[in-house]
Amino acid sequence: MPTVTRFFIKSGMIYFVLGIVLAFYAELPGVRTGALLLPVYWHMLVIGWISQIIMGVSIWMFPRTKKQRENIESFPAVASFWTLNAGLILRFMAEPFLPFFQGVMVTSVILISSLLQFAAVVLYLIEIWPRVQPRKIPVRRRS
Amino acid sequence: MPAQTLWMLRISLIYFLLAALTGSLLLIHKAIPLHPSAWALLPLHYEIAIWGWVVQFVMGTAYWMFPRFLKGKKRGPENPAWWMVILFNAGLIALLASHVLQPTQYLAPGGRILLAISILLFGFLMWNRVASFKHHDH
Repeated sequence: MPTVTRFFIKSGMIYFVLGIVLAFYAELPGVRTGALLLPVYWHMLVIGWISQIIMGVSIWMFPRTKKQRENIESFPAVASFWTLNAGLILRFMAEPFLPFFQGVMVTSVILISSLLQFAAVVLYLIEIWPRVQPRKIPVRRRS
Repeated sequence: MPAQTLWMLRISLIYFLLAALTGSLLLIHKAIPLHPSAWALLPLHYEIAIWGWVVQFVMGTAYWMFPRFLKGKKRGPENPAWWMVILFNAGLIALLASHVLQPTQYLAPGGRILLAISILLFGFLMWNRVASFKHHDH
């Protein structure tokens, strides 16, 4: 298993726990911040958990191209992990506070977070798209 | 990788990009209002992310990687597998169109029915492949 896959899966597990805990907290009677937390725990579960597990496992299991076999810790995969997680952390730190603070600081954090998350998806696609290929059946030569 | 999986994975990767694009625009719109109608992207964003990306990718990968039959066609009959791909994507397009066009009241339920039929086909194709060959003779 490549190191980046371990990172994706373990990070995914952490977001799964955080997402469930936050969703549970938001549903508690008397908690008034439920609506503000809704996009946070939804993204923790769908991007932080499910998508990261899918990304990590596909980077590990999908057949590599000849060029990719030389280096299993490829740059797009590693960069995708770091940009996605940096983007998610910035998002979770800033998004619930947007209704209260509309300053340059929060707006910049949201902008950077948005660009990082989008970049992560593009980097993942650069890694995985060439690996979604039909199996090449070797041609047997007559001796 | 079978052709059905190839199609499902490639389409799901395109949907992943679209989900990220719509999500990024919505997040930016929260901080810097872009356009009054930007929130219309929200239902598209989550239908694309859940159905187009996550569910389609998982179905395509499972159809490819689950244990194959030892006799006959490795992954069972091919026609239902093609219908699974076609109905899933036709249903999803109908569902997405219902959020954008709102032309008739039947588009959204029709799309969901096609998705449901596709998932039933997936269940039919996969049921006997969820097996341990040590105890079953296929």
